[in-house]
Amino acid sequence: MQGNRAGVVVLGGLVLVGAAWLLALRGPDGLAWFPGCLFHRFTGLNCPGCGMTRAACATLHGRIGEAFRFNPVGMILLPLASFGVGLEVIGWVRGRVLPFRLNVGRVGTWVIVGVVIGFWVLRNLPWWPFTLLAPP
Amino acid sequence: MQWHYAKSGVQLGPVEEAELRAKLDSGELSVSDLVWREGMGDWLPAGKVRELFPIPPLPTGIPKTPPLPGGPDIPNYLWQSIVVTILCCWPFGIPAIIYAAKVDGLKNRGDIVGAKAASASAKTWCIVAACVSGGAILLWWIIAILFAVPFCVLQPR
Repeated sequence: MQGNRAGVVVLGGLVLVGAAWLLALRGPDGLAWFPGCLFHRFTGLNCPGCGMTRAACATLHGRIGEAFRFNPVGMILLPLASFGVGLEVIGWVRGRVLPFRLNVGRVGTWVIVGVVIGFWVLRNLPWWPFTLLAPP
Repeated sequence: MQWHYAKSGVQLGPVEEAELRAKLDSGELSVSDLVWREGMGDWLPAGKVRELFPIPPLPTGIPKTPPLPGGPDIPNYLWQSIVVTILCCWPFGIPAIIYAAKVDGLKNRGDIVGAKAASASAKTWCIVAACVSGGAILLWWIIAILFAVPFCVLQPR
């Protein structure tokens, strides 16, 4: 069982690396098979994750400032969340929870919920300075 | 303080209190063995003697709500929810985050059943969000292939 879990994680990691390599190579518009954000496609509005593909591409090319311009909240939360998920995944593979967990506490959790939902609303407002939150 | 003690009917001692405690700790003397010191009315089993085994104070009032610092392990799936919300770009991630946010609060209040239910809901929404976005990409491929293949076949360059 534990061996299978490690295999799943390695496979997932390989898929991620492959996707990152393709994204870096072809750019966000070069991926014809990737539909992008369907919420944006159908409503024209930005969701909290919109711009993340472009931000990831910019990051892979070392253009961190540009990446923040595409999705500032995502650029902060995603590395944090990936680290948290990484710890959980290690615990899952080992079959027991790690003693150290990335825990922001109850208040921190609600702050994150508020930030994500607030960001979702604010980045769709058509006036400056909220337009800075939408991907250019 | 000098203590006398009895093992299998044989009176022994006197010994110093420290020595008696050492005997109790090592198991040489059991809590049911009789002990006596000057001033005590009668011999008592060592376990009944307050000086040797102080009775722990009884818990009074309402027990504190977070009784176990660790408690049962209830994953809150917060980070997973954030990842699916940002990466999968789908409103299904938001209910996942909301449920994830409730888990720790419920657990701290001692509502283990509620916390487990919220944890399970957060997990479900995470899976739904991941599956829906995975399914959307798959559907996109199918549609793309269904449209692309006839075009390529019917209109060869």
